[in-house]
Amino acid sequence: MMKAAAGIDIGSTTAKCVILRDGELLGKSLNPVGVNIVRDAEEALRLALVDARLDRSEVAFVTGTGYGRFKIAFGQLTVTEISCHARGAHFLFPRTRLVIDIGGQDTKAIRVNERGEVADFAMNDKCAAGTGRFLDVCAGALGYDVAEIGPLSLEARHPVKVTSTCTVFAESEVTSHVSRGKDPKDILAGLHASIANRSLSLLQRVGIEPEVTFTGGVSRNEGMVRALSGRLHMPINVSPLSQYMGAIGAALAGADRLRGGTAS
Amino acid sequence: MITCGLDLGSGVVKGALIEDGRKILNTASRPTRGNPSSAGQQVLEDLAEAENLVPGDLAYLCTTGFGRYMFPNRQLQVSDITSSAKGASFLRPGTRHVLDIGAQSSRAIRISPTGKVLKFKMNEKCAAGAGRFVERCSKYLQVPMEDMSARALSAQKPKLISSVCAVLAETEIINNVAEEVPLPDILMGVYLSLAQRAYSLMRYVGIESEITLVGGLVHSEAMVRAVRDTVHMGVNAQSEGHYAAAIGAALLGHQRAVRLSGPAGVGN
Repeated sequence: MMKAAAGIDIGSTTAKCVILRDGELLGKSLNPVGVNIVRDAEEALRLALVDARLDRSEVAFVTGTGYGRFKIAFGQLTVTEISCHARGAHFLFPRTRLVIDIGGQDTKAIRVNERGEVADFAMNDKCAAGTGRFLDVCAGALGYDVAEIGPLSLEARHPVKVTSTCTVFAESEVTSHVSRGKDPKDILAGLHASIANRSLSLLQRVGIEPEVTFTGGVSRNEGMVRALSGRLHMPINVSPLSQYMGAIGAALAGADRLRGGTAS
Repeated sequence: MITCGLDLGSGVVKGALIEDGRKILNTASRPTRGNPSSAGQQVLEDLAEAENLVPGDLAYLCTTGFGRYMFPNRQLQVSDITSSAKGASFLRPGTRHVLDIGAQSSRAIRISPTGKVLKFKMNEKCAAGAGRFVERCSKYLQVPMEDMSARALSAQKPKLISSVCAVLAETEIINNVAEEVPLPDILMGVYLSLAQRAYSLMRYVGIESEITLVGGLVHSEAMVRAVRDTVHMGVNAQSEGHYAAAIGAALLGHQRAVRLSGPAGVGN
């Protein structure tokens, strides 16, 4: 029987790990990233092994990805998160031609070919606007947890336009909308629209082509899925596993190596 | 003839009274607190009281700053670029380069010997590079705003910040705290990061000699030092620089008033 491959994605806020064998997902894990990234990576693998009911010895190959990938002490390979998201999205949605990955601290638009390889990409990692961080900060200003705001934004009746690009200025703008008596749901809808707009300009840089697959932590936010799909005028693929897309891509790259093929 | 300039800024409203376009009679300021017109009215009353003005004494009122259209009792409004340039040129005759760092925006202006704007570059889209960045740092590092500059000046090895974004810099700064980087080094890093952003604005407009710093951060010695260390040239900073735009507005108001009262057929 083929050996299993693990992929670990160390992001800015969470570590994700998946274990694959023959294209089948055996186990996964997600844990927060703190100051000690080396330990968090080990913990991610341990939790995924528990989930998969596997022993460490049954995992033949470990691939790291994400911005903290160089801190994974025990892996055999590191791959950029851009390749991994492309690969992972292609694995779950084989007709994917464009991946939008909105993470806790950066946003990427990746155009992929029919084999799941990266054709072009554009990235914003310089500015918190348009990333999960923007939603975190603004949710905080409204007194909500970031997990609540997506569904609430969908109940908006008169979305408020948020004009500030900068997260810091948007935070004040949110406060001033609140003091003017605007409904928090309407403000939330405006905040989601703002991120959708920022994403759109990134997507336009690489070229918009269906199908579009939405990955990264923010893809769990229904409000964001709706805002983005509305802005693009097309449906977008979202998987319950979308947060694990990078880790899946990493595990697939490892599986290639196990088969003796070339890793991307 | 007494004219008044009101600079309705996003953080603070500043006011200046000028006599005959030559002499600063008085200045006053109040925090904006989200209501520029009421803060502006108060500044105007503060100035009138301090100078014992009665209605009719004030020949002309000119507003500037982001809230310049929000003050109904004005005769004229001018952009903050124009007023800053004019004010800086009045405070520092002959200066050719003005750097204005406010609460929510910053601008670099190249001016003519008479204070006319030749070229400018402004950042109003991003909190990094504006006073707001320092305010935020003061909040999460729990250092009172009034102590920020003095603490920063005792830095031994300033810790530069690599993030451009004020929000992403926050994470970086918190990591620095966790790694036990001394607080003054972190604080000076904040001012240097602002200066770096200002420098890119200045390079855009072209700077050759000295710079006059105006705006809310002119009081901060750490800011002045950071700019000086970054641009490697003389930096003029005087405390009235905080009122540069208000002073400039009062001067421009005076010019307009003089023109309006001039001989028939000459005025506009």
